[in-house]
Amino acid sequence: MKGEFLSEKTKAVLWKVVLEYREKRKMALLRNNLEYENFREELYQIKKKAISEIESLKKKAISALKENGINVFEAKDVKEAREIIEKLAEGKTKIIKSKSNVFNEIEEEGFLTDKELTETDLGDFICQIMGEKESHPVLPAIHLTPEEIAKKIKEKFNVDLESKPEKIANFVRNLLREKISQSEIGISGANAITSDGKILILENEGNISLVSKWPQTHIIVSGFEKIVENLESALKIVKASAIWGTGQDFPVYVSIISGPSKTADIQNQVVIGAQGAREVNLILIDNGRTKLLKEGFEELLYCINCGACLNFCPVFHQIGRNYGSKYLGSKGIIFAGFSESFKKAVDSNCFSCTSCMACYQNCPVKINLPELMKKLRGYLEKENLQTGVNKEMIENIREFGNPFGKTEEGKIPKRLYCC
Amino acid sequence: MKIFEKILGGNTLYYPGCLTKFVAKELKEKYEKILRKIGIDFIELSELEKCCGSPALKAGYLEDFKKLAEENLKIFKDHSVKKIITNCPACAMTFKIEYSKALGKEWNIEVLHISQVLEKAIKEGKIKKKEIKEKITFHDPCHLGRGMGIFEEPREIIKSQGYEISEMELSRNESFCCGGGGGVKSNEPELANKIAKDRIEQAKKTGAKILCTNCPLCYLHLKENAKEIEVKELIELFEDL
Ligand code: SF4
Repeated sequence: MKGEFLSEKTKAVLWKVVLEYREKRKMALLRNNLEYENFREELYQIKKKAISEIESLKKKAISALKENGINVFEAKDVKEAREIIEKLAEGKTKIIKSKSNVFNEIEEEGFLTDKELTETDLGDFICQIMGEKESHPVLPAIHLTPEEIAKKIKEKFNVDLESKPEKIANFVRNLLREKISQSEIGISGANAITSDGKILILENEGNISLVSKWPQTHIIVSGFEKIVENLESALKIVKASAIWGTGQDFPVYVSIISGPSKTADIQNQVVIGAQGAREVNLILIDNGRTKLLKEGFEELLYCINCGACLNFCPVFHQIGRNYGSKYLGSKGIIFAGFSESFKKAVDSNCFSCTSCMACYQNCPVKINLPELMKKLRGYLEKENLQTGVNKEMIENIREFGNPFGKTEEGKIPKRLYCC
Repeated sequence: MKIFEKILGGNTLYYPGCLTKFVAKELKEKYEKILRKIGIDFIELSELEKCCGSPALKAGYLEDFKKLAEENLKIFKDHSVKKIITNCPACAMTFKIEYSKALGKEWNIEVLHISQVLEKAIKEGKIKKKEIKEKITFHDPCHLGRGMGIFEEPREIIKSQGYEISEMELSRNESFCCGGGGGVKSNEPELANKIAKDRIEQAKKTGAKILCTNCPLCYLHLKENAKEIEVKELIELFEDL
């Protein structure tokens, strides 16, 4: 295993949050009058259909988005995506950013370091000032206590704060408002894109509304798998993201963006750029996704990034973000195999998965992650990236018909290569 | 009798699986005994028995797995096996779900986890119910519960032996893994033990003195990591075996 174990303290916090989340999720489903299995099946069908016709949906979406005045770029990998962003940001320095998993995916050391980039999601902002990485896709600062955060704020900004969540949030709110008002570019992700050219972004804090509307330029980074047929499907995904992400009925805000801000209030002359972004750019990234499709891992592209698969994962509860790469958990490991390298999948602790199926059981779009994990390990076998222990196990099976090898009467095998 | 059965419907095979056969041997004898007691006429393959292929499959040796499935099918056919009963959830799931995938229509052997057989025997009155005497908690093995949807059968068996089940915070579909599966016990022992210790703590919170499970791996692994709680495999609850 690579990396360290979580401390007992972090583990306890994590469990507390997760068990509360479980109750909230149950209640949210109840209030929405949704039955767990039925809704999952419905979501699964939506994504299955969309991914099965993703090429044509993508074409449709791109032409509709362009028609709506959105600049659309396709990036085949992270390098291309970075280049597009750098180009769009040329001559500008002040960037504000909201939570985006795809941005995390394309980020690397040195990227945009000549700019002033501010995280506006509270959890991400906290991680940024603490110099730590997010520990959960939906709850990035889940591992930090109010005391630790307040201490850091004192260090960095020389402000005495009571270590209470509301005090911290208020301090950050005021600090960020200043940054936002000076910003030139806003970068966000997307939660769903419709084939008729609408981009949906959900949030609770209100920062994404500002990121997408305050600066002149809005850059949206997204995987192409976010495209679904229509707004109805997209809204179901939004609802599922809230229920499975945080156990809410619905997100506080959902922005539906279908073009740059405009007005025709002066003599019916269309002017681009009223109060919102004057320029909307969408970068659709591939970065291994087509490979996943081709190799029979299409289910992975159903993912809506809710993080639910981590919440009851026995390995995540022991090693946190060491279990995964750019994305966390089994999903992240499989994705790393195809977007980074098979070696990276091994280093992300691919062989720590116990195939317990808790991720599958918790996934709103029913991605059979343990099944995909077996398949991924099959690739690792071909690439000669197996563990020594597994090699012993398979040799035993080949030679003796059981994983323990030569078994002596009255003796018990030491190493349990099972099951 | 065997020949007669062959003509009628083939043999029932008790398949303990490698872990029970070579490691948790104490369980094997008891399972054989109870099957006899409830009047099941079964055969065993003994030395001819081969690994079901679960460890190979989980580790990604997909070709080895396919080969094992084919070899096992041949062995089963040679012994006119029409039904397999196993006490190992990993074997059961592999035979029932993975063999169907790997072999398609060729695979038409009925697969039962032993808890299904025993639960039926309780219903038929072949196993006597005992008075409730003690509290116990139950760990749902991942491959039995989430894997095959078998949640109630082991619980019914536990109750029949005079225990009241005090459920853990995470049980049934939401059961928390013991940490030993998927090759983790051998590949990452430290990680596997840490997970097991957390599961043990969850079990202790119920106040029960016994943690029962129905899988040889969960049993061995939890037992190895248990403190202040006794770990028992389901079959060990039958005092008269
Ligand atoms: S794999 Fe499923 S549970 Fe995990 S983040 Fe994606 S949608 Fe959510």
